[in-house]
Amino acid sequence: MQTSGKRKENKAKEMSRSQTIAFFLRGSVRFFVIGMILSLLVALLDMIGPKIVQYTIDYVLGDEAGPTAIAQYAIMACGGREYIRAHLYIPAGIVILIAVFSALFRYLYRVFSSMGAEKLICRMRDELFAHILRLPVSWHGRNHTGDIIQRCTSDVETVRNFLSEQMMTLFRVGILVGFSLFFMISISPSLTAMSAIFVPVIIGYSVFFHNRIAASFLKADEEEGKLSSIAQENLTGVRVVRAFGREQFERERFETQNRGYTRMWIRLMAWLSAFWCSNDLISGSQIMLVIAMGAVFCVRGRITTGQYIAFVSYNGMLTWPVRELGRVISDMSKAGISIDRIRYIMNSEPEPLRTDTDEAADTAATTDSGAATAFRAPCTDSLGAAPLDIVFDHVSFSYDEGTEVLHDVNLTIPAGTTLGILGATGAGKSTLIHLLDRLYDLPRDNGTITIGGRDIRSIDRRALRKYIGLVLQEPFLLSGTLAENISITKPGEPDMEAVREAARVAALDETVDRFTDGYETYVGERGVTLSGGQKQRTAIAQIVMADTPVMIFDDSLSAVDTQTDARIRHNLLEHTAGSSVILISHRITTLMQADCIAVIDHGRIVEQGSHEELLALGGLYRHIYDIQTSY
Amino acid sequence: MILLGFIASLIDAASPLFNRYALDHFVAKGTLDGMPVFLMIYFALLIFYVLENFLCTYICGQVEMSVDRDLRNLAFNHLQELSFSYFNQHNVGYIHARVMSDTGKIGVMVAWRLMDIVWNGSYVICVVIMMFILNWKLALMVSVLVPIVTVLIMIFQRKLVVVNRHIRELNSTITGDLNEGIIGARSIKALAVEDRIHDDFKRDTENMRRTSVRASHYSALFTSSVTMMSSAALAIVLWRGGYITMQGVIHIGTLAVFLTYALNLMEPIQWIITTMSEMIMTQVNIERLTGLLDTASDVTDSPEVIEKYGDTFHPKRENWEPLHGDIVFKDVSFHYPDGEEYVLDHFDLTVKHGTNVAIVGETGAGKSTLVNLVCRFYEPTSGQVLIDGRDVRERSQLWLHSNIGYVLQTPHLFSGTIRDNLRYGKPDATDEQIWDALKLVSADGIVNRMEKKLDSDVGEGGDMLSTGEKQLLSFARALLADPRILVLDEATASIDTVTEKAIQDAISTVTRGRTSFVIAHRLSTIIGADIILVVDDGRIVEQGSHRELMAKQGVYYALFTRQYEELAWDRVTLLE
Repeated sequence: MQTSGKRKENKAKEMSRSQTIAFFLRGSVRFFVIGMILSLLVALLDMIGPKIVQYTIDYVLGDEAGPTAIAQYAIMACGGREYIRAHLYIPAGIVILIAVFSALFRYLYRVFSSMGAEKLICRMRDELFAHILRLPVSWHGRNHTGDIIQRCTSDVETVRNFLSEQMMTLFRVGILVGFSLFFMISISPSLTAMSAIFVPVIIGYSVFFHNRIAASFLKADEEEGKLSSIAQENLTGVRVVRAFGREQFERERFETQNRGYTRMWIRLMAWLSAFWCSNDLISGSQIMLVIAMGAVFCVRGRITTGQYIAFVSYNGMLTWPVRELGRVISDMSKAGISIDRIRYIMNSEPEPLRTDTDEAADTAATTDSGAATAFRAPCTDSLGAAPLDIVFDHVSFSYDEGTEVLHDVNLTIPAGTTLGILGATGAGKSTLIHLLDRLYDLPRDNGTITIGGRDIRSIDRRALRKYIGLVLQEPFLLSGTLAENISITKPGEPDMEAVREAARVAALDETVDRFTDGYETYVGERGVTLSGGQKQRTAIAQIVMADTPVMIFDDSLSAVDTQTDARIRHNLLEHTAGSSVILISHRITTLMQADCIAVIDHGRIVEQGSHEELLALGGLYRHIYDIQTSY
Repeated sequence: MILLGFIASLIDAASPLFNRYALDHFVAKGTLDGMPVFLMIYFALLIFYVLENFLCTYICGQVEMSVDRDLRNLAFNHLQELSFSYFNQHNVGYIHARVMSDTGKIGVMVAWRLMDIVWNGSYVICVVIMMFILNWKLALMVSVLVPIVTVLIMIFQRKLVVVNRHIRELNSTITGDLNEGIIGARSIKALAVEDRIHDDFKRDTENMRRTSVRASHYSALFTSSVTMMSSAALAIVLWRGGYITMQGVIHIGTLAVFLTYALNLMEPIQWIITTMSEMIMTQVNIERLTGLLDTASDVTDSPEVIEKYGDTFHPKRENWEPLHGDIVFKDVSFHYPDGEEYVLDHFDLTVKHGTNVAIVGETGAGKSTLVNLVCRFYEPTSGQVLIDGRDVRERSQLWLHSNIGYVLQTPHLFSGTIRDNLRYGKPDATDEQIWDALKLVSADGIVNRMEKKLDSDVGEGGDMLSTGEKQLLSFARALLADPRILVLDEATASIDTVTEKAIQDAISTVTRGRTSFVIAHRLSTIIGADIILVVDDGRIVEQGSHRELMAKQGVYYALFTRQYEELAWDRVTLLE
């Protein structure tokens, strides 16, 4: 059981194109199958229409003898030629009847294929998003947000169109062409041959052209992107533009790009219209040939008038889908690229819940709905609710083979004490705590970090992160009300009393009181934009609310003025009594009350001790202290 | 263009006649006489049609793109002159969409939608006329269906428009969710709330799925009913037309033409209605764009000023006086355009050239107001701001701005190289001058560490650099412009202590001889300032030097002592 599950996960880690497609199609494929059957029926009914017209003209209005058994049978079934002549509403009625069924099937076809398409895109989005949530922070650091979003939106859209529209079109057109050709051949094989010669020509020409133009489209898109970002930057940097009096420069830059972009599009349009029109010429000639040759055949008596009319309409049915086919085929080549772009995400390795030991737990967490939802599996691990000793033992670390960010760090944070970390920007302060929270994983031979004696690499990430409350340097607020944000770690409706208390501790209460909607104020990307300091305080309130045994504040008070800073620290001191606290800052006032202060410089701990001890030491700490107090 | 569209549709409508001619002339009479002529005319018309069609689409494309281009330029240029109140009231995404997407939609409408209507409209009219000429009785019967189709299409169309709008909203919600999940990845992980975030996301995608399927019901009904109606038209022609053909009223060729017309009549009608509803939707885009273009700037130069100093895009630099840097606020009262409350109330202040003014106060207390007035981003509600003894309004904005250096709290760099960015305020700066400026703010290390030095790319919005680095560079940029007035807006908030000290040293060198305004959090930054203004709740409550304000024992004293009391207390115990 476990081995097979294991193999499945391995496979999921490196999915091929077809495996990716099969994975996403799970659950929606039946809709597509029904859709295909329906489209078959629609095509069949569409084919019958001209037949009836043909029979009516030939055998009812004209005097041709019914050559085929089917036609004779059909006419007999309706009461014979004379009867139909007297009651011409019969063929008309049949046309209507067929139309009703055709409309019904057409309707069902569209609904079913759209159900399939929506199911598919829904699954693609969900799975991709789940996978992205599980990917490690280092992956997020390597990849641009805009790029990932594009993969999740326009590439997903492209793949959806490929599977639900292009494949379906291909199928439909195939049927249509097949049927048309079949009926045409039954009328006149030689005339059909003349008409069919054009089919590969039209398709080939269309594919050739679309492939050629694809590069130009790409280039035009890039140019548009450039134009768009000039406007974007001008708007976000409006103060800079104005303050330097560079409006004219901006204007010229924009107009130059705009001109180039426009010229490029006009040229592209010229090519496109040339293509459409030459295509018109080809298919126009084809129709002309059929009309002329059909007339010749008719005059020579090789086909009947009705057959001639039916043939011309079948031929009409042939040309349109064939022209469409060329576009579809060249579009399909784009889908391959999009699938690869999506595969890049799906094949990126997610964070394992643990790194070593218990791989079985990981596998067990892999549910049927996909490897990505492992964070839903029950978390059996727990560190309890009491603070434990945290020990960094000979920890060294570097990002992606680069220079060492941390070098041989040894630190002990006894349970319930406060550690202050002081250091310059880029000294490695944040890295230290990112390692502790396992946002980055400490490789095997680079020392160990233990909590209560347990190596954190053997602790379930979720248990670890629920145990440690981390306020990031630049916290991100999710869209939602302030109350929802503050109580985000608590399931269900926010407990307003607790929210208020957390806000008070984080010195957010007065700010909230100034909002008209109070705690119901909608914040985040799609709501009120909070200032840096307000965001930081909201993030602090989140952690206060979560009430974790370990609390880390990564320069969380940098955007808050000193007065509020002092107030928050005072409140926190009361609130966090009994918890272990790590405070990171380059402001000495923030750190001086800590039980122990570590000074980090270029990835090394250079000084360590209480405020008084460090001052007496006369080193870096003393130096910074002197600068900060020299007034 | 309209003419071309009309001709094209005429040919479209006429083409079944060839089929009819072939049927009646060749097939019915059983002769091939005149076949070459027939083919030649047919082919000539085909060529003509193709060429005409090419011209049609080409011109359409050109019209579309040119309209786009001109509208974008118009909007962009207008934005360069709009006052700050507009930018404060609308977010960047909103304004950006006006410039980039509304213009595109309008372009499409002006060119293609118009062409669609002309083409399809004249096609329908031609076909109907042609049918009436061929046989008015039969034509009348087919025409009865037209109003029915029109009503049906309009009903579905209206429903579709509503659902589609909903879908667009949902789509932007989903993109927003994705955006949050990715930008906020660190926070989400640190809080261990992945499952919750994923639940919310799934709720939105599921909602999207349902709505889209609902939309597909409407659009499927829509297309089915149109084809259904086409078949109905076909049936009528077959039934009634069959009778009169048998009676010899019309030839079989005419019947065939009728059959073709009956089949092809409904689709153009559908197109016309769809196009019209799209045009109605474009109305919103037009309104939003004209809304932007009609917004007048709160701050404009008077005609006399433009006459002498030139406007934003055509400055007359030869008439510009040098700026000395004396700034006087004379009985200034001010409230923001979107607020009622007076932020400044009969405020007077004299800043001699070369004076260093510091503005301190709590977060969000409105410390930028004074600077906004000096830079003339806003104008006083009453009273005057004098620069070198003359009202700011007497000279052009560009003149003023060319003399101001500005470093923002959130530094903004433009994509491009470091050199491009540093030269932003002084396009002709030499590399030597650039390096000098970099050294002054000790940012030369940052550039030296980069592989391509000054030619290194800073990425979009400078995102290849850290906030601290961006701040240092934007500081060097301001210095390079060698401004007479320097504004530092909390420029030192996120630079570490050692770098900050280096910057402070640089500041004291460069502010010498310049009028400068420093808005700061940390009081240590501004102790040496000539004038300190203390802002509380949007008002200036105290002003004076550090010494004077400390002696006053007011708000500043409280702020200052609170910031340092712990250290002071600590220092005492240490001495003991």
